[in-house]
Amino acid sequence: MQASSNLLNWILWMPFIGVLGILFIPKAKETAIRVWSLINTTVTFALTLVLYAKFDTTVPGMQVPFNISVPWIKSFNIFYKLGVDGISLPMIVLTGLLFLICVLSSWTVKKQVKAYFALFLFLQSTVFGVFFAMDFFLFYVYWEVMLIPMFFLIGIWGGENREYAAVKFFLYTFLGSILMLVGMVALYYASGKGIDSFDILALQGGKFSDLTLTIFGATFSFAKLFFVFLFIGFAIKVPVFPFHTWLPHAHVQAPTAISVILAGVLLKMGTYGFLRIAFPIFPEATIYFSDAIAWLGLINVIYGAFCAMAQTDVKKLVAYSSVSHMGFVMLGLAALTVTGVNGAVLQMFNHGTSTAMMFLMIGVLYERSHHRWIVRPDGSKGFGGLYTQLPKFSIIFIIAMFASMGLPGLSGFISEALIFLGIYERFTTITVLALLGLLLGAAYLLWMFKRMFFGDVIEECKSYTDMNAREIFYMLPLCVAVIVFGIYPSPVLDVMRASVGNLVSMLAKF
Amino acid sequence: MDYTISTVAPIVLLPFFAFAINAFIVKKFTKVAVFLSCAAILGSFFFASRIFFDFLNVFATDYYIHKTFTWFDLSYGEFPFKLDMGIYIDNMTATMLFMVTGVASLIHIFSTYYMKEDARYGRFFVYVSLFTSAMLALVLSENLISVFIFWELMGFCSYSLIGFYYEKEGAGNASMKAFMTTRVGDVFFLFGILAIWSVVGSVSFVDIYAALANGAFDGQYALGISLATVAGLGIFMGTIGKSAQFPLQVWLPDAMFGPTPCSALIHAATMVAAGVYLSLRCYPLMEAGGLTYFIACIGGITAFGAATIALVQTDIKAVLAYSTISQLGYMVLGVGVGSYNAAFMHLITHAVFKACLFLSAGSVIHSLHDHHTHAHVQEMPRMGGLRKKMPFTFLAMLFCTLAIAGIPFFSGFVSKDRILGDALVAATHDAKYWIPSVLGFAGAFLTAFYMFRMMFLTFFGEPRDKDLYEHTHKEKLSWNRNVPLLILSVFTLGVFFSGSLTGQGLIKVADKKYEWFQTLIEKPHIENFTNRSKQAFGFTTEKSTETFEASHYDANHGLSEEEAHHVHHIHHIGALVSIVIAFSGVFIAAMMYFWRSWNPGFWVSTFSRWYRALQNKYYMDDLYIKGIIQKGLIPFNNLLAFIDMGLYDRYAIDGWEKVNRALFTVAKWVDNLIVDTAMVDGTGASVRFFNVILRTLQSGKIQFYFIMIFLVLAGYIWTLNI
Repeated sequence: MQASSNLLNWILWMPFIGVLGILFIPKAKETAIRVWSLINTTVTFALTLVLYAKFDTTVPGMQVPFNISVPWIKSFNIFYKLGVDGISLPMIVLTGLLFLICVLSSWTVKKQVKAYFALFLFLQSTVFGVFFAMDFFLFYVYWEVMLIPMFFLIGIWGGENREYAAVKFFLYTFLGSILMLVGMVALYYASGKGIDSFDILALQGGKFSDLTLTIFGATFSFAKLFFVFLFIGFAIKVPVFPFHTWLPHAHVQAPTAISVILAGVLLKMGTYGFLRIAFPIFPEATIYFSDAIAWLGLINVIYGAFCAMAQTDVKKLVAYSSVSHMGFVMLGLAALTVTGVNGAVLQMFNHGTSTAMMFLMIGVLYERSHHRWIVRPDGSKGFGGLYTQLPKFSIIFIIAMFASMGLPGLSGFISEALIFLGIYERFTTITVLALLGLLLGAAYLLWMFKRMFFGDVIEECKSYTDMNAREIFYMLPLCVAVIVFGIYPSPVLDVMRASVGNLVSMLAKF
Repeated sequence: MDYTISTVAPIVLLPFFAFAINAFIVKKFTKVAVFLSCAAILGSFFFASRIFFDFLNVFATDYYIHKTFTWFDLSYGEFPFKLDMGIYIDNMTATMLFMVTGVASLIHIFSTYYMKEDARYGRFFVYVSLFTSAMLALVLSENLISVFIFWELMGFCSYSLIGFYYEKEGAGNASMKAFMTTRVGDVFFLFGILAIWSVVGSVSFVDIYAALANGAFDGQYALGISLATVAGLGIFMGTIGKSAQFPLQVWLPDAMFGPTPCSALIHAATMVAAGVYLSLRCYPLMEAGGLTYFIACIGGITAFGAATIALVQTDIKAVLAYSTISQLGYMVLGVGVGSYNAAFMHLITHAVFKACLFLSAGSVIHSLHDHHTHAHVQEMPRMGGLRKKMPFTFLAMLFCTLAIAGIPFFSGFVSKDRILGDALVAATHDAKYWIPSVLGFAGAFLTAFYMFRMMFLTFFGEPRDKDLYEHTHKEKLSWNRNVPLLILSVFTLGVFFSGSLTGQGLIKVADKKYEWFQTLIEKPHIENFTNRSKQAFGFTTEKSTETFEASHYDANHGLSEEEAHHVHHIHHIGALVSIVIAFSGVFIAAMMYFWRSWNPGFWVSTFSRWYRALQNKYYMDDLYIKGIIQKGLIPFNNLLAFIDMGLYDRYAIDGWEKVNRALFTVAKWVDNLIVDTAMVDGTGASVRFFNVILRTLQSGKIQFYFIMIFLVLAGYIWTLNI
């Protein structure tokens, strides 16, 4: 045991300490609650940076010094097992950063401040749990528990149709959870009760290749059947077409900070699930289904982009753009090459920063306008001349927008380029079609920008004030991130390289 | 010469730092920002000219500097992958650097005059610095991905500059159109890069040359077509977008929405030049892909088509915009007919005279101030007789017009004539090349005509808008306005580019004089790269390469004596035809607009249908915007979005929930019967725990799912036991 071995526990439970702290602050002291949350998330973020600093980039698998393994439910071989590797670390740092930023952005939340921040910090704890868990059961628990704060955060602090959206979100992801649960239990039985049968690492490496299963007289390949189960479970979270329709609802109704977390972190839990669980445990099924995954990814890219272009609600537009951009991640994963998977993991991180910027900026605007119509249902302009009215806002918005469309020099480009390099040789046709997504991606964003920012300032926009110091302050780290990682991606790529390479070379054996 | 990345880097970094610093200080310290931008580009010019003159000193065709560093490395075990960045400097790069920094410096200086009263004086320089820096980085790039990065970055800068007057609705359209149209080409470009990567395992120019020399592309296919063709076509599509070639030329005329100096930058030194530059760099690939005829045709069509549209333009900047498209067509035609040297020379000569033309036009526009609307006037029907008011601008513009029209002794003649001569040579070898050649010659005639039409309409005759004319001040000489014009117009003289008219070259090597341009710029000799270690995934053993091959100054450029004679013969005929054509173009323009003996209105009414077609730019904008986008893309998007939310989500997803609700009545019975009574207490309790939380919202459904879980689990355990 080394000194740093409890770091994961600290990161995981720090937000929970925050929740406990909030419970002791009187409801009326709203500023105190906010400041406490801010301090708490700052500490958490600092801890994730410590983890980053102590991370050994040469180790391909789990970072042994940080591993934590404590028996939890002995009779079922369930462990409280935490670990971190190069695939989860970028997500963890991203989670730390985005929650910190979102606390600042949530400063203006007025409704039930105490409950809001308590649930918010609780959410952070569960998100860390998903990324740290190395025991499938523990992973599942965190995955499920996370739904609870999310459900209430959308359902109570959301927009007009928040209840519909919250329930939809819940049911969709819950359906995925059931399938995942079935898969998990199947793995538990298949691996035999003797070993650490929920241990994600112990289950890896194609142990179930030859297993078949007879249900009602029909024979199935165990691996393929349950790969599909797990795949759907994770795909709903990504979301992969045709499981995507909860996303626009949830995004539009969720308050700004929750949209940011949803798009920035929660969607990545789906693709993280592929990388951590579905792919390593069922490598042969992964290769068998990789064509289908690539096609689904392509549909996401193109379909999401086309739908985005038709949206008149700017938040819905960005929500569909997430569908499109997560399609690139799926494509990179399907490539199963070093470039493709590295690109996918990098895209998970980059999309987290760029899309968070987009949602934050829309939130800033919404606080002034209280609507999000690019074009109102009656055909009139919702916004106009924002460039003239809000110069600072516009510049940051431009950075966010171009980062989102993958302009070279900003972070999104490198990940997309890597993904394309990865998929070209296996899926040339898909590459051609996916490139169309790049074109459409620029089209819907620029068209939105043109309609909202150029031209004369329309009457109702004249009262808008430019971004204040707090808003600029919390946008700055993300601006820096998209620019710095666009020019110098190595800080992110170096951490993931060994872990991704390890995964790819394991998959290449099948 | 001992250039390393760090000694070359200031060329790019000076303007970049100017951009980075100015972005923060521009609001409060506008003057400092402007000074920084100008100082930075002059600094770049200093470093670039050192390189340029060093290369002139070496005076060797095959000399190049190639240095790289690793940008990032993803290698793991048996999966190597790394991406290098670096510099590649040969004679072409050095010349390009000298031209870009030189022209950009002059544009910077002119902008201090032109933009001074603009509300966003400083902001303009922020973008311009980034723009120049991106262009310089592109020129220095040693690989295609690096080219692509700066290529797109320039796209962003042009987007910002074209949309500079963002209060205007039109600026939004124009900037978006420019970005999207070039992006169409860029997407193909990226595909070309991927295709090359799949074969070469690197996109470094030297690796591509080596792969071509070693036949790595032979027998490789992508999408059922020869890979060299796919890759070459992809990259050429990038050129089509960036250099505004048919059918993606639509964005460039709209680009004049930006401030005039930025038009000078886009049309001359940066943006559009990048496209042709890339095609020249990748020339061996285009040749291997068998694309030369296609390229020649695109060039010919663009050169001619844009010239016809320029005939009917009344906006002085629009004439220049179409002339740019047309001249770029000549460069591309040059690439297509293998006129490598002349195509690049035209790129340089055009950059000089087009920058000067735009700055002169800016100078004219700036002086013409309509005191009713408080706007600057750029419509030629309201000009006329301005020669007397602004003699200096007139002379500068005249020089450039003579150059672009292809009048002997001017730079445009030297380069354009040689492209057309080579086109004729190609036509004598292969009859199908007659099409682009004839289009080229016809375009040259039209060029002389419409450019002199512009000159006559602007500077000669009686002022057509008396009021405007009276209010125009007589040109005052100011250094930041006139010095750039002076320098640029001096460099429109042909003697700087070719000594052929004086009979001798400018550079003396071993008692013999050589024409520097024609000697130094040659097609990449890919056979020089055969020995470059060819390894999987493009890993080059050496960190950087520097070769110096004993140069051969081959006057015949590798042709046999007989062939060279034939080429010379054709070139003489071509030159004669060019001269006749240019002068007849000028003559007809003079008959119509100077002596006014022929009435242009007659031609307009006789060919009214064609006239309308030209005014509507052959309806291509209509086809793209009204046709493809408004009638095709947008309704399709709306339909898809409706299917997604209005049908799929509403009926399939929510409808599925309704089915669930029906099942729920059944489930409730199961619930009572099994869960509450039969299930073990622990699990039942957890179900109830969730129920308590969620009951308030949507009681039925959640419960149902929990039941489902247990049913599925029970069923599963049951099947497994069998």
